Amino acid sequence: MRDYWLGKLFFDLQSSPSLGAEYRADRKPVLDRYPLKPEVRAAVERDDVPFLAARVNPYLLRFYFVVVGMPEAEFLGKVKKAGAVTAARSSHG
Amino acid sequence: MAKLVGVFASSHAPLIIRGWKDVKPANQESLTRSMTEIGRRIKAARPDVLIEIAPDHWVNFFINNLPSICVGVGEEHEGPGEPWMKDCPYKKIAGHPRLASHIVETALERDFEPSVSHHLTLDHGFCIPLWRGGLDPLPPIVPIIINDLEPPYPTVRRCLQWGSMLAEAVRTYPEDIRVALLATGGLSHSIGEPTMGEIDEPFDRECIRHFEKGDERPLVDFLSERLPTIGNGAAEIRNWVAAHGAAGKRGFELIGYCNCPEVYVGCGFASWNLGATA
Repeated sequence: MRDYWLGKLFFDLQSSPSLGAEYRADRKPVLDRYPLKPEVRAAVERDDVPFLAARVNPYLLRFYFVVVGMPEAEFLGKVKKAGAVTAARSSHG
Repeated sequence: MAKLVGVFASSHAPLIIRGWKDVKPANQESLTRSMTEIGRRIKAARPDVLIEIAPDHWVNFFINNLPSICVGVGEEHEGPGEPWMKDCPYKKIAGHPRLASHIVETALERDFEPSVSHHLTLDHGFCIPLWRGGLDPLPPIVPIIINDLEPPYPTVRRCLQWGSMLAEAVRTYPEDIRVALLATGGLSHSIGEPTMGEIDEPFDRECIRHFEKGDERPLVDFLSERLPTIGNGAAEIRNWVAAHGAAGKRGFELIGYCNCPEVYVGCGFASWNLGATA
Protein backbone atom coordinates (compact mmCIF):
# COMPACT_ATOMS: atom_id res chain seq x y z
CA MET A 1 0.00 0.00 0.00
CA ARG A 2 1.29 3.46 -0.86
CA ASP A 3 0.24 6.67 0.85
CA TYR A 4 0.42 9.18 -2.00
CA TRP A 5 0.97 12.37 0.01
CA LEU A 6 3.51 10.76 2.31
CA GLY A 7 5.45 9.64 -0.75
CA LYS A 8 5.09 13.11 -2.26
CA LEU A 9 6.46 14.76 0.88
CA PHE A 10 9.50 12.45 0.85
CA PHE A 11 9.96 12.88 -2.91
CA ASP A 12 9.85 16.68 -2.64
CA LEU A 13 12.27 16.74 0.28
CA GLN A 14 14.90 14.66 -1.51
CA SER A 15 14.39 16.68 -4.73
CA SER A 16 14.89 20.12 -3.19
CA PRO A 17 17.86 20.92 -0.93
CA SER A 18 16.23 24.22 0.11
CA LEU A 19 13.03 22.44 1.14
CA GLY A 20 15.14 19.94 3.05
CA ALA A 21 16.88 22.78 4.91
CA GLU A 22 13.54 24.41 5.70
CA TYR A 23 12.19 21.08 6.96
CA ARG A 24 15.19 20.44 9.19
CA ALA A 25 14.78 23.90 10.71
CA ASP A 26 11.05 23.50 11.38
CA ARG A 27 8.93 20.61 10.15
CA LYS A 28 5.53 22.10 10.95
CA PRO A 29 5.16 24.71 8.16
CA VAL A 30 6.28 22.17 5.57
CA LEU A 31 3.97 19.45 6.88
CA ASP A 32 1.08 21.93 6.83
CA ARG A 33 1.36 22.06 3.01
CA TYR A 34 0.63 18.36 2.59
CA PRO A 35 -2.83 16.83 3.17
CA LEU A 36 -1.49 14.01 5.30
CA LYS A 37 -3.92 11.85 7.23
CA PRO A 38 -3.64 12.67 10.97
CA GLU A 39 -2.17 9.26 11.85
CA VAL A 40 0.38 9.56 9.03
CA ARG A 41 1.44 13.05 10.09
CA ALA A 42 1.79 11.87 13.68
CA ALA A 43 4.01 9.01 12.52
CA VAL A 44 6.20 11.46 10.59
CA GLU A 45 6.46 13.70 13.65
CA ARG A 46 7.61 10.83 15.87
CA ASP A 47 9.93 9.24 13.21
CA ASP A 48 7.93 6.00 13.37
CA VAL A 49 9.91 3.98 10.83
CA PRO A 50 7.77 0.78 10.95
CA PHE A 51 4.56 2.76 10.36
CA LEU A 52 6.07 4.78 7.52
CA ALA A 53 7.86 1.80 5.95
CA ALA A 54 4.52 0.12 5.33
CA ARG A 55 3.26 3.13 3.35
CA VAL A 56 6.06 4.42 1.16
CA ASN A 57 8.61 3.21 -1.36
CA PRO A 58 11.72 1.93 0.50
CA TYR A 59 14.11 4.14 -1.49
CA LEU A 60 12.08 7.24 -0.59
CA LEU A 61 12.02 6.11 3.06
CA ARG A 62 15.79 5.85 3.04
CA PHE A 63 16.24 9.21 1.23
CA TYR A 64 13.91 10.89 3.73
CA PHE A 65 15.90 9.82 6.76
CA VAL A 66 19.12 10.92 5.06
CA VAL A 67 17.54 14.34 4.47
CA VAL A 68 16.40 14.71 8.08
CA GLY A 69 19.84 13.70 9.31
CA MET A 70 19.16 10.41 11.06
CA PRO A 71 22.48 8.58 11.51
CA GLU A 72 22.79 5.57 9.19
CA ALA A 73 23.25 3.06 12.02
CA GLU A 74 20.11 4.33 13.73
CA PHE A 75 18.11 4.06 10.49
CA LEU A 76 19.39 0.54 9.84
CA GLY A 77 18.36 -0.50 13.35
CA LYS A 78 14.90 0.99 12.96
CA VAL A 79 14.24 -0.40 9.50
CA LYS A 80 15.27 -3.89 10.64
CA LYS A 81 12.91 -3.50 13.59
CA ALA A 82 10.20 -2.55 11.08
CA GLY A 83 10.73 -5.94 9.46
CA ALA A 84 10.40 -7.66 12.79
CA VAL A 85 7.17 -5.78 13.50
CA THR A 86 5.76 -6.77 10.10
CA ALA A 87 6.77 -10.40 10.62
CA ALA A 88 5.16 -10.44 14.06
CA ARG A 89 1.93 -9.01 12.65
CA SER A 90 2.00 -11.59 9.81
CA SER A 91 2.51 -14.44 12.24
CA HIS A 92 -0.57 -13.30 14.11
CA GLY A 93 -2.74 -13.62 11.06
CA MET B 1 23.94 1.03 -41.27
CA ALA B 2 24.76 1.33 -37.58
CA LYS B 3 26.70 -1.37 -35.80
CA LEU B 4 26.53 -2.60 -32.19
CA VAL B 5 30.16 -2.59 -31.08
CA GLY B 6 29.95 -3.40 -27.38
CA VAL B 7 27.48 -4.33 -24.64
CA PHE B 8 28.45 -3.88 -21.01
CA ALA B 9 27.03 -3.83 -17.48
CA SER B 10 28.17 -2.10 -14.33
CA SER B 11 26.88 -1.62 -10.81
CA HIS B 12 26.35 1.98 -9.67
CA ALA B 13 26.25 1.94 -5.86
CA PRO B 14 26.02 5.54 -4.55
CA LEU B 15 28.42 4.79 -1.69
CA ILE B 16 31.15 4.24 -4.30
CA ILE B 17 31.11 8.04 -4.32
CA ARG B 18 29.40 9.08 -1.10
CA GLY B 19 31.23 6.65 1.19
CA TRP B 20 34.39 5.77 -0.76
CA LYS B 21 36.78 6.53 2.10
CA ASP B 22 35.02 3.90 4.23
CA VAL B 23 35.40 1.14 1.61
CA LYS B 24 38.08 -1.41 2.55
CA PRO B 25 41.28 -1.04 0.48
CA ALA B 26 40.90 -4.49 -1.14
CA ASN B 27 37.36 -3.65 -2.22
CA GLN B 28 38.43 -0.21 -3.41
CA GLU B 29 41.05 -1.90 -5.55
CA SER B 30 38.57 -4.46 -6.93
CA LEU B 31 35.92 -1.87 -7.75
CA THR B 32 38.42 0.53 -9.29
CA ARG B 33 39.92 -2.21 -11.44
CA SER B 34 36.50 -3.33 -12.72
CA MET B 35 35.13 0.15 -13.41
CA THR B 36 38.36 1.21 -15.11
CA GLU B 37 38.22 -1.90 -17.30
CA ILE B 38 34.60 -1.25 -18.29
CA GLY B 39 35.58 2.30 -19.22
CA ARG B 40 38.62 1.10 -21.15
CA ARG B 41 36.51 -1.37 -23.15
CA ILE B 42 33.87 1.22 -23.94
CA LYS B 43 36.56 3.60 -25.17
CA ALA B 44 38.22 0.79 -27.18
CA ALA B 45 34.88 0.11 -28.90
CA ARG B 46 34.98 3.75 -30.18
CA PRO B 47 31.23 4.30 -29.96
CA ASP B 48 29.70 7.29 -31.73
CA VAL B 49 26.69 6.87 -29.44
CA LEU B 50 26.18 5.08 -26.14
CA ILE B 51 22.77 3.66 -25.27
CA GLU B 52 22.58 3.56 -21.49
CA ILE B 53 19.95 1.67 -19.53
CA ALA B 54 19.49 2.59 -15.86
CA PRO B 55 16.72 3.07 -13.31
CA ASP B 56 15.40 6.44 -12.21
CA HIS B 57 16.01 6.96 -8.48
CA TRP B 58 12.99 9.23 -8.00
CA VAL B 59 14.57 12.06 -9.96
CA ASN B 60 12.49 12.30 -13.14
CA PHE B 61 9.39 10.37 -12.14
CA PHE B 62 7.09 9.87 -9.18
CA ILE B 63 4.05 7.66 -8.62
CA ASN B 64 1.76 10.24 -10.26
CA ASN B 65 3.44 9.36 -13.57
CA LEU B 66 5.65 6.31 -13.60
CA PRO B 67 6.60 4.82 -16.97
CA SER B 68 7.79 1.23 -17.20
CA ILE B 69 10.23 2.27 -19.91
CA CYS B 70 11.20 5.78 -20.98
CA VAL B 71 13.50 6.69 -23.87
CA GLY B 72 15.33 10.02 -23.71
CA VAL B 73 14.97 11.52 -27.19
CA GLY B 74 16.23 15.03 -26.45
CA GLU B 75 19.29 16.89 -27.71
CA GLU B 76 20.59 17.42 -24.19
CA HIS B 77 20.09 16.02 -20.72
CA GLU B 78 21.02 17.24 -17.28
CA GLY B 79 23.86 15.73 -15.28
CA PRO B 80 23.25 14.31 -11.82
CA GLY B 81 21.67 16.59 -9.23
CA GLU B 82 22.47 14.65 -6.08
CA PRO B 83 24.52 16.95 -3.79
CA TRP B 84 27.14 14.25 -3.27
CA MET B 85 27.63 14.01 -7.05
CA LYS B 86 28.70 17.68 -7.23
CA ASP B 87 32.23 16.77 -8.41
CA CYS B 88 30.92 14.69 -11.31
CA PRO B 89 32.19 16.36 -14.50
CA TYR B 90 28.97 15.86 -16.46
CA LYS B 91 26.80 18.94 -15.98
CA LYS B 92 25.06 18.74 -19.39
CA ILE B 93 24.99 15.49 -21.36
CA ALA B 94 24.43 15.42 -25.10
CA GLY B 95 21.72 13.12 -26.39
CA HIS B 96 21.30 11.62 -29.85
CA PRO B 97 17.75 12.43 -30.94
CA ARG B 98 17.96 10.64 -34.31
CA LEU B 99 18.96 7.25 -32.93
CA ALA B 100 16.65 7.70 -29.94
CA SER B 101 13.68 8.46 -32.20
CA HIS B 102 14.52 5.48 -34.40
CA ILE B 103 14.52 3.28 -31.26
CA VAL B 104 11.08 4.59 -30.31
CA GLU B 105 9.73 4.02 -33.84
CA THR B 106 11.18 0.50 -33.93
CA ALA B 107 9.70 -0.19 -30.50
CA LEU B 108 6.24 0.87 -31.66
CA GLU B 109 6.56 -1.38 -34.72
CA ARG B 110 7.40 -4.25 -32.37
CA ASP B 111 4.41 -3.65 -30.10
CA PHE B 112 6.17 -1.77 -27.31
CA GLU B 113 4.74 1.57 -26.20
CA PRO B 114 7.57 3.33 -24.38
CA SER B 115 7.26 6.72 -22.77
CA VAL B 116 9.50 9.42 -24.24
CA SER B 117 11.23 12.38 -22.63
CA HIS B 118 12.87 15.29 -24.40
CA HIS B 119 14.84 16.28 -21.30
CA LEU B 120 15.92 13.91 -18.56
CA THR B 121 18.12 14.30 -15.52
CA LEU B 122 20.65 11.49 -15.51
CA ASP B 123 21.23 10.57 -11.89
CA HIS B 124 24.02 8.59 -10.24
CA GLY B 125 22.72 5.39 -11.80
CA PHE B 126 23.70 6.71 -15.21
CA CYS B 127 26.75 8.71 -14.23
CA ILE B 128 28.80 6.76 -11.67
CA PRO B 129 29.90 4.02 -14.11
CA LEU B 130 30.76 6.63 -16.77
CA TRP B 131 32.62 8.85 -14.32
CA ARG B 132 34.55 6.09 -12.59
CA GLY B 133 35.21 4.46 -15.94
CA GLY B 134 37.07 7.61 -16.99
CA LEU B 135 34.77 8.46 -19.89
CA ASP B 136 35.44 12.15 -20.36
CA PRO B 137 34.44 13.49 -22.80
CA LEU B 138 31.33 11.40 -23.15
CA PRO B 139 29.90 10.20 -26.43
CA PRO B 140 26.31 11.31 -27.02
CA ILE B 141 23.99 9.19 -24.90
CA VAL B 142 20.57 7.73 -25.55
CA PRO B 143 19.30 7.24 -22.00
CA ILE B 144 16.69 4.55 -21.39
CA ILE B 145 15.03 4.32 -18.01
CA ILE B 146 13.49 1.03 -16.91
CA ASN B 147 11.33 1.13 -13.80
CA ASP B 148 13.30 -0.99 -11.34
CA LEU B 149 12.25 0.94 -8.23
CA GLU B 150 8.51 0.75 -7.73
CA PRO B 151 6.28 -2.28 -8.41
CA PRO B 152 4.72 -3.35 -10.65
CA TYR B 153 7.90 -3.87 -12.66
CA PRO B 154 8.15 -4.91 -16.31
CA THR B 155 8.60 -8.67 -16.52
CA VAL B 156 12.02 -10.20 -17.02
CA ARG B 157 10.76 -11.73 -20.27
CA ARG B 158 9.66 -8.32 -21.55
CA CYS B 159 13.00 -6.74 -20.67
CA LEU B 160 14.77 -9.43 -22.67
CA GLN B 161 12.48 -8.71 -25.63
CA TRP B 162 13.15 -4.99 -25.21
CA GLY B 163 16.86 -5.66 -25.52
CA SER B 164 16.37 -7.73 -28.68
CA MET B 165 14.34 -4.85 -30.10
CA LEU B 166 17.20 -2.44 -29.30
CA ALA B 167 19.59 -4.60 -31.31
CA GLU B 168 17.18 -4.53 -34.24
CA ALA B 169 16.86 -0.76 -33.95
CA VAL B 170 20.64 -0.38 -34.11
CA ARG B 171 20.89 -2.77 -37.08
CA THR B 172 18.26 -0.86 -39.02
CA TYR B 173 19.44 2.65 -38.20
CA PRO B 174 20.49 4.16 -41.53
CA GLU B 175 23.57 6.16 -40.49
CA ASP B 176 26.96 4.46 -40.51
CA ILE B 177 27.72 4.83 -36.80
CA ARG B 178 29.13 2.70 -34.00
CA VAL B 179 26.82 2.12 -31.04
CA ALA B 180 27.66 0.68 -27.62
CA LEU B 181 25.28 -0.18 -24.81
CA LEU B 182 25.82 0.04 -21.07
CA ALA B 183 23.33 -1.33 -18.53
CA THR B 184 23.74 -0.25 -14.92
CA GLY B 185 22.55 -1.47 -11.54
CA GLY B 186 22.45 -4.68 -9.51
CA LEU B 187 23.45 -7.18 -8.46
CA SER B 188 21.86 -8.12 -5.11
CA HIS B 189 21.17 -5.34 -2.63
CA SER B 190 18.41 -4.01 -0.46
CA ILE B 191 17.64 -0.33 0.17
CA GLY B 192 15.26 0.99 2.81
CA GLU B 193 13.99 -2.50 3.61
CA PRO B 194 14.45 -4.64 6.72
CA THR B 195 17.13 -6.54 4.81
CA MET B 196 19.05 -3.35 4.00
CA GLY B 197 22.78 -4.06 3.85
CA GLU B 198 22.38 -7.77 3.09
CA ILE B 199 24.09 -9.11 -0.04
CA ASP B 200 23.05 -12.50 -1.42
CA GLU B 201 26.29 -13.70 -3.00
CA PRO B 202 24.98 -17.21 -3.83
CA PHE B 203 22.16 -15.55 -5.78
CA ASP B 204 24.63 -13.23 -7.51
CA ARG B 205 26.90 -16.13 -8.47
CA GLU B 206 24.01 -18.15 -9.87
CA CYS B 207 22.76 -15.12 -11.73
CA ILE B 208 26.22 -14.61 -13.24
CA ARG B 209 26.37 -18.28 -14.29
CA HIS B 210 23.08 -17.90 -16.16
CA PHE B 211 24.31 -14.80 -17.98
CA GLU B 212 27.60 -16.52 -18.80
CA LYS B 213 25.83 -19.52 -20.32
CA GLY B 214 23.44 -17.26 -22.16
CA ASP B 215 20.47 -19.64 -22.41
CA GLU B 216 17.29 -17.63 -22.44
CA ARG B 217 14.78 -19.87 -20.72
CA PRO B 218 16.81 -20.81 -17.61
CA LEU B 219 17.84 -17.16 -17.11
CA VAL B 220 14.28 -15.85 -17.42
CA ASP B 221 12.88 -18.60 -15.18
CA PHE B 222 15.58 -18.09 -12.55
CA LEU B 223 15.16 -14.33 -12.35
CA SER B 224 11.36 -14.38 -12.59
CA GLU B 225 11.25 -16.75 -9.63
CA ARG B 226 14.03 -15.28 -7.50
CA LEU B 227 13.88 -11.50 -7.97
CA PRO B 228 10.67 -11.15 -5.93
CA THR B 229 12.29 -13.04 -3.05
CA ILE B 230 15.41 -10.94 -2.51
CA GLY B 231 16.31 -7.31 -1.85
CA ASN B 232 14.59 -4.62 -3.89
CA GLY B 233 17.82 -3.36 -5.48
CA ALA B 234 18.22 -6.59 -7.43
CA ALA B 235 15.26 -5.46 -9.55
CA GLU B 236 17.89 -3.47 -11.47
CA ILE B 237 19.11 -6.75 -12.96
CA ARG B 238 16.29 -6.16 -15.44
CA ASN B 239 18.68 -3.71 -17.10
CA TRP B 240 21.27 -6.48 -17.44
CA VAL B 241 18.57 -8.67 -18.98
CA ALA B 242 17.85 -5.99 -21.59
CA ALA B 243 21.58 -5.84 -22.36
CA HIS B 244 21.59 -9.64 -22.66
CA GLY B 245 18.80 -9.44 -25.23
CA ALA B 246 20.57 -6.69 -27.15
CA ALA B 247 23.78 -8.72 -27.29
CA GLY B 248 22.03 -11.72 -28.80
CA LYS B 249 22.08 -13.94 -25.70
CA ARG B 250 25.52 -15.36 -26.44
CA GLY B 251 26.75 -15.16 -22.86
CA PHE B 252 29.08 -12.70 -21.22
CA GLU B 253 32.52 -12.32 -19.73
CA LEU B 254 32.53 -11.38 -16.07
CA ILE B 255 34.92 -8.46 -15.62
CA GLY B 256 34.60 -8.50 -11.86
CA TYR B 257 32.41 -9.23 -8.86
CA CYS B 258 32.84 -7.62 -5.46
CA ASN B 259 30.68 -8.51 -2.48
CA CYS B 260 31.06 -5.09 -0.89
CA PRO B 261 29.13 -4.59 2.36
CA GLU B 262 30.53 -1.07 2.71
CA VAL B 263 28.44 0.02 -0.29
CA TYR B 264 25.57 -2.42 0.50
CA VAL B 265 25.83 -4.00 -2.98
CA GLY B 266 27.03 -7.18 -4.62
CA CYS B 267 28.78 -5.26 -7.40
CA GLY B 268 29.04 -6.86 -10.83
CA PHE B 269 30.74 -5.81 -14.06
CA ALA B 270 30.45 -7.60 -17.38
CA SER B 271 31.04 -7.50 -21.12
CA TRP B 272 28.80 -9.49 -23.46
CA ASN B 273 29.99 -11.69 -26.31
CA LEU B 274 28.78 -10.26 -29.59
CA GLY B 275 29.97 -12.98 -31.94
CA ALA B 276 31.42 -12.18 -35.34
CA THR B 277 29.29 -9.10 -35.90
CA ALA B 278 31.20 -6.83 -33.50
